[in-house]
Amino acid sequence: MNILTPRPNPIVAALYTLRDLDVDVAVLHGPSGCGFRAARLLEEDGMKVVTTSMSEEDLIFGASDKLIEVLKEVDALFSPNIIGVVGSCVSMIIGENVKKAIIDSGLSNKAFFIEIHGCMGANTRGAIETLKAARDFGLIDDKEFQRQEKMLLLATEVELNKGMAKSKYTRPSRGADLKTVAEYILSQLKENKKIAVVLNAKKETAYLFADIPLAINLASKKYGVSVINIANLSTDIGLSRIRRYAKDIINNFESSGILIDYISGGVDEYPIAGKKAIEYLKDKDFDLLVAVGIPQALPTIKKDSIAITNGPREVHPLEDAGYKYVTVEIASHSTVMGTREIVLSELGEAIRNIAGIQ
Amino acid sequence: MKQIAIYGKGGIGKSSISSNLSVNLASNGLEVLLVGCDPKSDSTINLFGGKRIDTALDLYKKGITDPDKLVFEGYNGVKAVEVGGPAAGVGCAGRGILVALKTLNKDYYLERGFDVVIYDVPGDVVCGGFAGPAREGYADEIYIVTSGEYLSIYAANNIVKGLFNLNVKLGGIIGNMRGIAKEEEKIESYAKEIDSGLMGAIERNPKIHESEIEGKTVLERYPNDPLNLKFKSIGSKILQNKKAKVPTPTIDEKIRSILGGFY
Repeated sequence: MNILTPRPNPIVAALYTLRDLDVDVAVLHGPSGCGFRAARLLEEDGMKVVTTSMSEEDLIFGASDKLIEVLKEVDALFSPNIIGVVGSCVSMIIGENVKKAIIDSGLSNKAFFIEIHGCMGANTRGAIETLKAARDFGLIDDKEFQRQEKMLLLATEVELNKGMAKSKYTRPSRGADLKTVAEYILSQLKENKKIAVVLNAKKETAYLFADIPLAINLASKKYGVSVINIANLSTDIGLSRIRRYAKDIINNFESSGILIDYISGGVDEYPIAGKKAIEYLKDKDFDLLVAVGIPQALPTIKKDSIAITNGPREVHPLEDAGYKYVTVEIASHSTVMGTREIVLSELGEAIRNIAGIQ
Repeated sequence: MKQIAIYGKGGIGKSSISSNLSVNLASNGLEVLLVGCDPKSDSTINLFGGKRIDTALDLYKKGITDPDKLVFEGYNGVKAVEVGGPAAGVGCAGRGILVALKTLNKDYYLERGFDVVIYDVPGDVVCGGFAGPAREGYADEIYIVTSGEYLSIYAANNIVKGLFNLNVKLGGIIGNMRGIAKEEEKIESYAKEIDSGLMGAIERNPKIHESEIEGKTVLERYPNDPLNLKFKSIGSKILQNKKAKVPTPTIDEKIRSILGGFY
């Protein structure tokens, strides 16, 4: 099926994956505007992103010399340990010999190439190609590559079966307003209903989504009810940067006196952790499920449930899946960059305000 | 004004025919512009005594985009442009053609009063850029140069497929013979097979090559040679041609049976 909905692209996924790998500089061999919104965010997260600002002239005559020059400049300017060179649509169509340019720049000991462009399918392909290149360059071992590739293929499947790749065109929506959702959650707590909160977050967005279980737990204490907490915050799975996210969030939870009842997997295991969470809940007694992060990766259950996503284009598919309320944390990507602690979420704030807690 | 594009198998003699056609048309008092689209930049070399002119894309690189500065006057008053392009193995020659053609356009040609514009396009239509001269607003019709040899006709038929897909008119076939048996008849039979016609066939003649070694057209090197009349005749036929239409490509087996039928 030819999907019309604008979706994340493989080049941007490659850039994000380089950030996950703690690469110092990403050099995008392409036009200056290619992936610029993501590039700016990633710069806030500490990775430098530069482009070779290819022009029409470069498209005709090739721009390998320019790439060599940019690599040398980057080396002089930032003294990086590792540089990732990412392809783009134009440079890959004209068949730029990036590997040779890296060798000619004299930086082949610290720079590696990710052969990717925008027409290579799902965004996850960009992540897989980056991990493959990182494995070949010696940044990760084959076992870790295999594990992550499996996760990424499963994530693609989730989007295809239950997310925005499910239909030809998915309209964006903000879903239910935050106040309505906050009031509903609090009304359940007041009625002594038991809530199960499943944090099934993808990488750095966990810093924001974790605020929702945090707020629900703080409110539950006020009303004297207990909450079942499930989170994909394993500190033993994934790249060191990804594990760090989990450690930071668990520390924040602990300092607020919140314990996680069940760790459903790592922060990069959201495609399978949702399923584990629901399996764990199978024989547990609860009245309302609050699924936070990537709710589309949770099997649907026949119970009162609420989904909180960060994708306006995930709202309709989630509503179709039977959630009572679906709402959106719109600022998730921009607010979490560079943070080392849980970031205030809009829903979390609404819950705190209505409950009258800090 | 008439705009035509010459296509055909690599090495079949498109540039020879284009430059000889150009100078002979100019002899008839016409304002002729020859646009060489090969990144090798050798289409117009025979108009300048073997010298290479600055290419449109090299000038573009230097920031020069005034079309008047891209056009050079060669032998017999023929105006010439070489599109140029990247070195072999890098960049995108097809994009180069599109960019150069954007600078050189119908409005400019009309303003400068050209009667005939000839695009000499390299080899097969390898990508969208090489089909640029065949697009709307550029060549009114296409002429394909071929010999009577199988591979040359096979390549011609591949171009015909492209024209069919792009809905572009074919003016006819121009023969450039290699000296094989019943060659003109073979080319003509193929032309009929694709619902087109033979505009004329140039015999294999050492004078063409002798002229080229000196960087000249036959008209300049051998002004009184009857070969020039042949070029003039093909030129007038092209100018008067009202029969251009979208051709119907044939299949490989048919080409083999046509060529085989002459033995």
